[in-house]
Amino acid sequence: MKLSLGGRAAVMRSLIAAALVAVLAAGCSSSGSTSSSTASQKVKLSFWSWVPNLDKVVAIWNKAHPDIQVQVQVQAGGDAELTKLLTAAKAGNPPDVAQVEYQVLPTLVSSNYLADISKYAGSLKGGFPAGIWNQVTLGTSAVYGIPEDAAPMAFFYRADLFTKYHLTVPTTWAQFAADAKKLHAEAPGVYLGTFSSADPGEFAGLTQQAGAQWWSASGSSWKVSINSAASQKVASFWQSLVASGGVNNQPQWTAAWNKGMNDGHYIAWVSDVWAPGDLVSESASNAGKWTMTALPQWTAGASASGNWGGSSTAVMAASKHQQAAAEFATWLNTSPAATAALAAQGGIYPADIAAQATLAAGKPPAYFSNQPSFYSIAKQLAAGTSQVTWGPDVNVAYSEFTTAFGTATTSKGSFLTPLDQLQSTVLNDMKKSGFTVQAAG
Amino acid sequence: MKDPRDRTAPRAAPYAFVAPAVILFTLLVLVPVGYTLYLSFQKSQVSGLGLGAGARRQVFAGWSNYTSALADPAFDASLLRVLLYSVVLVPVMLGLALLFALLLDARRVGLQRFARISIFLPYSVPIVVASLLWGFLYLPTVSPFTTILGWFGLSMPDLFATHTVLFSVANIGVWGGTGFNMIVMYTALRAVPSELYEAARIDGASQLQVALRVKIPMIAPALVLTGVFSIIATLQVFNEPITLSPLTNTISPVWMPLMKVYDEAFTNNNIYAAAATSIAIAAGIFVLSYSLLRLSNRHIFEGR
Amino acid sequence: MALVRLEGAVTQAPPARKDLKQQRPGRKAAFPTAILLLGAVYCLLPVVWVLVAATKNNSQLFNTFTFAPSGSLWSNIGALTSYGGGVFWDWMLNTAIYAGGGALLSVAVSGLTGYALAKYRFRGRSTLFNLLLAGVLVPPVVLALPQYLLLAKVGLTNTYWSVLLPSVISPYGIYLARIYAMASVPDEVIESARVDGCPEGRLFARIAVPMMVPGLVTIFLFQFVAVWNNFLLPFIMLSDENKFPLIVGLYTLLNRGSSAPSLYSLVVTGSLLSIIPLIILFLSLQRYWRTDIASGAVKQ
Repeated sequence: MKLSLGGRAAVMRSLIAAALVAVLAAGCSSSGSTSSSTASQKVKLSFWSWVPNLDKVVAIWNKAHPDIQVQVQVQAGGDAELTKLLTAAKAGNPPDVAQVEYQVLPTLVSSNYLADISKYAGSLKGGFPAGIWNQVTLGTSAVYGIPEDAAPMAFFYRADLFTKYHLTVPTTWAQFAADAKKLHAEAPGVYLGTFSSADPGEFAGLTQQAGAQWWSASGSSWKVSINSAASQKVASFWQSLVASGGVNNQPQWTAAWNKGMNDGHYIAWVSDVWAPGDLVSESASNAGKWTMTALPQWTAGASASGNWGGSSTAVMAASKHQQAAAEFATWLNTSPAATAALAAQGGIYPADIAAQATLAAGKPPAYFSNQPSFYSIAKQLAAGTSQVTWGPDVNVAYSEFTTAFGTATTSKGSFLTPLDQLQSTVLNDMKKSGFTVQAAG
Repeated sequence: MKDPRDRTAPRAAPYAFVAPAVILFTLLVLVPVGYTLYLSFQKSQVSGLGLGAGARRQVFAGWSNYTSALADPAFDASLLRVLLYSVVLVPVMLGLALLFALLLDARRVGLQRFARISIFLPYSVPIVVASLLWGFLYLPTVSPFTTILGWFGLSMPDLFATHTVLFSVANIGVWGGTGFNMIVMYTALRAVPSELYEAARIDGASQLQVALRVKIPMIAPALVLTGVFSIIATLQVFNEPITLSPLTNTISPVWMPLMKVYDEAFTNNNIYAAAATSIAIAAGIFVLSYSLLRLSNRHIFEGR
Repeated sequence: MALVRLEGAVTQAPPARKDLKQQRPGRKAAFPTAILLLGAVYCLLPVVWVLVAATKNNSQLFNTFTFAPSGSLWSNIGALTSYGGGVFWDWMLNTAIYAGGGALLSVAVSGLTGYALAKYRFRGRSTLFNLLLAGVLVPPVVLALPQYLLLAKVGLTNTYWSVLLPSVISPYGIYLARIYAMASVPDEVIESARVDGCPEGRLFARIAVPMMVPGLVTIFLFQFVAVWNNFLLPFIMLSDENKFPLIVGLYTLLNRGSSAPSLYSLVVTGSLLSIIPLIILFLSLQRYWRTDIASGAVKQ
């Protein structure tokens, strides 16, 4: 039976309508957070993070909270996640909760992508070290994230190889340089560490230890002093080491570097308290052979350190379930069950003071079975890390660092020139965006 | 005689047929390009410390995005670098493709079927995977060449040094693209009528002379087309350096022009600068390829 | 301009010449053969490397001679399968959907458009064609962000459509379809079908398409490979790991592998598995690689 012309058109119209509805429904149901809920309806939260085994930690929450279910969406790493977070937030469909590194918080806040959860989480202030709490409030009365981990820098070394090469464990940078020189003379392919342009966060942390403050704010204007005397001191120090061959210039976290760490071509590592999580998979055969201690100091007897990384759990401004999200974020970073699981499964050293004390009283991580005091040392280091203020264009600074220092680390030339270049790029970038900003010595 | 298409062709049908393409093209190419053009004349302005709500506005920026892009020394360096990259890669790749195609077409050459399949195979390997694999082959500590060269008492050269890294990246492009272009040229060669070869051979020409005097001129259109498309593609190089960048200090995040667009848009969160840079690059590529096509059209086609 | 003249050459191309080699199987010249052999070895080198490297587990990968295989291939595949709860095979399936589905849709649209451009004269025809070709000049990285913002407005990001829709438009496919339609669908056939009262849609589907099939398969294969190899578009559009295609999945695996090197052997094994399907596709569908239409010399 043939349909009449009008009938056929009507069928076509309803088919098209059905198809459109199907497409849009398929689209809407799988992007970002779900529709709004009434009090008794289940809330589904999406959570972007790169922490390994995080789904196991979140499973604990999901079991205990059937009304608020959290789904983890695994990301490749901090940088990759930030890229997608910025894009998604710009488009208006970010996740509800995201893992956000401390240095990136101002960037997200200045674009108004993060929710202020001070009314849900303001009371948590006393549970975290002041320097870390400051990084999530940005010096204001708002709270932009719950601190997850503390990341003070530390020095790791292979005690057995230090003995083999007759070196003393350095407590000052001068000693470090002397050790490097001796090692290079004795065994040219073996290094105390590496310095490459791929890790601006490490360099920033080292300058913090020397007292540098790359960004500072007073009133409504910013000051940028990346090439201050303190930074120059650190830059020149590493320049001479790279130039003389005392340290290598290999980027970290590459196949070649992993191999070197594994087979003893690197006998020390200037790193951070989150190293155990890395070493477990990088250098599994060397478990129990690495020891952690404080960073070498500029002045003998001091106990300064810097920050390298560390992240918080933030609630995105576009989320429709900010209270539930804040509740989850609080649980993740302060409850004993969650912090213990994060430490054990994810290699996270928690920022929560109570959690730090619990860990210090317990056993060391499996990889550092040779060092029972591992977590006590970590606690001390966390307490001593310097305060840091991050500016609104850290990602510009880090990207420029990689570009500017790339040539210098390869050609083993001056590190002061790229440092000046970094200062001027960051300054100009902020000026162009309309910030009131000045250079400071 | 009247064109039969005019007499009986219904008016509406062609428009209906091209409608899907037109709609998709408009939505997914024209509109984004137009939006990018619009964004390139805007910028973001902050007030105060720039934190919190209402701190940022989008304002008109005039030509400032373009001037700062073109005045950036790193960007200018990347433009020169991509031209050098193209000049190195395209002749090598097309030269090899032509050589292999001629050899596949020649008489008394062995292993032709095996070589044809093998050389075409890299086309099936995604660029990201190919960069990964070659990355492993370049790194001294994990590369087999270190061992092999060691047998001859040689050491592995640093393929990521400042003066070698361009060639190392170009090698990946040559490896991936030669096979495809070889097949295009080979099929063009197969369509050349055999009478031309017979005539030349009877006159006593060697295979080499036949190749140079007869075959290459006959497939000149294919050579030109592959040349122009290859140049356009190499000027847009992106996947290989992005994959290799974390492995070495010598490939900065803005090493090639399109990497700068990515860096600005996705790392620096500055879509306005990225928009201006990408419009500038696209305009440059367009002018270059249009001139190349005009030039080759005049010489190759009008001369015949 | 250049292309119009090229099409003229297309329709007058002579049939392929006879294969003279069959008449004289004789000694092969050593030097040219050696050159071909060198070329083949160069092209096969990384493929052989990844084949051998996938047989090694993590410690063997870095500590044994590269071209000496070990026996861990099956355990590597097992580890890859169990990673993330089997997400690798999700990636495989997704890639098949994106590449297969995207290529199919693209062939449909390219075939329609190419046919219309070749066989009809209508206003705006050459403008449309030139505009489509200009689309080749726009680098994908330039389009990625605006396309994302656009699709986000209709809530289609992080869906299969967000990768499929942009894959449908292929200026190169339309160009090939047009050439093939001109070369393989004779005007007389169309003319007589119209005289018989055949509606245009039926004409296209029942008469033109079967004649264009070899060319359509070529377009399918080109677009299949292009979508299979595409990285930036799905990387930007998708945030859910279960929807990743192979290459984006491998990339995230590699990035996580930098801080968890036990994943390196998974990356290598995954790379091997990701190139096997395309290689099989190539080898089995060799006769469909009608690149003669791309070079401008069509057999009639």
